[in-house]
Amino acid sequence: MDDQDIQVFITGVRRYFDSLRAGEKVVIEPPFIKDDERPLLEYTGIIGISGKAHGAVCFTANGLMLKNILGFLHESPSSREMLCDLVGEIANTLSGNAREEFGSDFLISVPVVATEGNSSFRFPEEGRNYVIPIIWQSEKAYLLVCLH
Amino acid sequence: MKLLIVDDSSVVRRAIERDLESGEIKEVDQAATGEEAVKLYAAKLHDVVTLDITMPGMDGLTCLDKIIGINPEARVLVISALRDKATAIDAIKRGASGFLCKPINPSELREAFQLLIED
Repeated sequence: MDDQDIQVFITGVRRYFDSLRAGEKVVIEPPFIKDDERPLLEYTGIIGISGKAHGAVCFTANGLMLKNILGFLHESPSSREMLCDLVGEIANTLSGNAREEFGSDFLISVPVVATEGNSSFRFPEEGRNYVIPIIWQSEKAYLLVCLH
Repeated sequence: MKLLIVDDSSVVRRAIERDLESGEIKEVDQAATGEEAVKLYAAKLHDVVTLDITMPGMDGLTCLDKIIGINPEARVLVISALRDKATAIDAIKRGASGFLCKPINPSELREAFQLLIED
């Protein structure tokens, strides 16, 4: 996984937020590498990756951003269960969309959802941890791409 | 017309149901797993099925095989995050009538649905 491959995920993030037709464009800040720790927010959808690459792709966000997204999906009111469902579905969508570039050997698992940064998921020790900061409707989220 | 919506995400299932709401659809069933979908389809032979691929337990392509096994004329619209051509071609070869990628574009979904029911 290199800097160019990360662009595939950035394209997926733009596509996802554009699909909400919120009127306000998503802002994607420059990705950075952070190997020592992962910035996990309140809700995290984790997709295990195998096949062509190994590791995980995670979408992590606070409840407020997820509630805003649910609002654009005409879901109201939102429960904690719905926020977990949504964060897993976003992680699934962003990972699955990457197969457009990486092909069908880029195998994705069903989502595992962690809350408050508590995850028993074993992240790969090898490889780089790319962090893609996302700002939408004044709320921050991250897409973490931890692959080798 | 009977519609079966299969997706492990309840948020997605409800979004699809809202997007396809029309006078033509008289009955909607939802399934969160492939196993549940096969049972529901065998019992009711829905006119149209929307089907996710990545689900816990039985995946959508296996579910598609089973639905086509029950009714080779089944109208199944696959709606998946898997955005590679090989998966779309595989689904069509297995008997899917259409393939849409997530995130779902409501107007594309309605258009694909109309094409299916007019077929």
